[in-house]
Amino acid sequence: MTSEYKKPLPSPAMNPEVSKPFWEGTKKHELWMQYCLNHNGHFFYPREVCPICWAPQDRLVWQKVSGKGRVFSYTTVFQPAIPAFAEEAPYVHALIEVDEGARIIGNVIDIPQEDVAANKLEVNQRVEAVFEDVTDEWTLVKWKPIDEG
Amino acid sequence: MSLRGEAAIIGIGELPTQRSTPGRSMLGLLGDAARIAIKDAHIRKDDVDGIVTEGGTTYPATVAEYLGIKDVRFGTGSSMMGASGATGIAIASMAVMNGLANNVLVLMGVARNPALGGGGEGFGGPGGEFEMPYGTAAGANTGYAMIYKKHMDQYGTTQEQLAHVASNQRFNALENENSAFKGQAISHQDVLDSRYVNYPLRLLECVMPCGGAAAAIVTTAERAKASLTNPVYVLGVGTALDDFGAYPKPEFTTSPVARSAPVAYSMSGYTPRDIQFAEFYDCYTILEAMCLEDAGIAPKGEIGPFFASTDTTYKGTFPINTDGGQLSSGQPGLAGGFRHVIEGARQIMGKAGVRQVARNDLCLVNG
Repeated sequence: MTSEYKKPLPSPAMNPEVSKPFWEGTKKHELWMQYCLNHNGHFFYPREVCPICWAPQDRLVWQKVSGKGRVFSYTTVFQPAIPAFAEEAPYVHALIEVDEGARIIGNVIDIPQEDVAANKLEVNQRVEAVFEDVTDEWTLVKWKPIDEG
Repeated sequence: MSLRGEAAIIGIGELPTQRSTPGRSMLGLLGDAARIAIKDAHIRKDDVDGIVTEGGTTYPATVAEYLGIKDVRFGTGSSMMGASGATGIAIASMAVMNGLANNVLVLMGVARNPALGGGGEGFGGPGGEFEMPYGTAAGANTGYAMIYKKHMDQYGTTQEQLAHVASNQRFNALENENSAFKGQAISHQDVLDSRYVNYPLRLLECVMPCGGAAAAIVTTAERAKASLTNPVYVLGVGTALDDFGAYPKPEFTTSPVARSAPVAYSMSGYTPRDIQFAEFYDCYTILEAMCLEDAGIAPKGEIGPFFASTDTTYKGTFPINTDGGQLSSGQPGLAGGFRHVIEGARQIMGKAGVRQVARNDLCLVNG
């Protein structure tokens, strides 16, 4: 944990009250997503209306999910848009599909830097959520490759 | 032909007006209003295929993403400030009477949520909360690079194949007075040797931000006949839009052109085989390539081999982006897509000079 964290922290512009359970979950090092009781499925990012069936807010609940998934696709960022990321470039920015079906953006970490630079990561690589307490207030979810044999 | 009696409102939804809307965002309120409207209209969510938003604060794509509206054939912002609602109905009426959509959802609203600070309007999308903390690349690079990688994985498309997009277009730009890269030749190998901005996107596969502007005059066919120029007739139009971000898209490597092109073909009476040349939006090589597939210029997944085996310069068998496109002429912001329309018209008018294509009767434009 550091007070000198220079990268952008999550800036909830839509509705911080709706996404709060997600960030409370990451603080406990758990991955939580919304679940729609009308059509029985998870979705992400957090919303006040189910994007699958338009169920209203009172039909949406939060559930802890497995924290496992696969790399749906990714890019290796050699030239970050935000200067604070420059020193760790290249790094992997990925779209992860969790086993419950929803998709979430994040970094895939725990890959040797030479493999990152050589774009060795493969689409469909199995990953699991890991949590980084970047400030006292915020914990980001990142992903690391797993080998399930 | 006029609007008179050609379109109707079949359902309405309205939320109670409140001094404060604690716990709610604009997008959430729009969703609630939309749910009431479709119920009133006795249609289902999936019947909605058009979206008109206020425009100044809300993109149709942001609403489509938030509300998961999957098959949007027509979307636009009204952008008329206080007159946006009434204008929105007029725009929606024009869309349905011309076959661009069947059920257009016109929706506008604003939240006043004390938790959102300032005026508390809550216009924002998810990017600042769920993407930026993970270090996005510039512009739209991140999303298109992930589409590129998925296309490679799914169809075996290679970077060598797509590098032809950039090198062929640079050839087309060499003598274009309006190109930022006039006279600056690059080879296919130069594209492959250029550095990664973010893998798999290399520098020469991305547009360069520029300033610029373009304009066109549209009139009736009747007036066009009396025109002193060689008129360029609009024979078919199809529109479609996609989600704003990368989250939900089930068909990640398919563009909305898969839905817009069939409408344009059917309206025109022509097929992909009739098209003589194409001017296609090209912020990145992959986007242009994917859209060409979705327009039927090559079968889905086979655009890589198409570029490897087809001369797409203005001298070639199937010219594409004959002025160099945005990749080799520069991208004047969101006006960049207009240059494809302008160049298509210029070619059909026969005013393209040294880069005039041999067959210039029928052009497919994607902007």
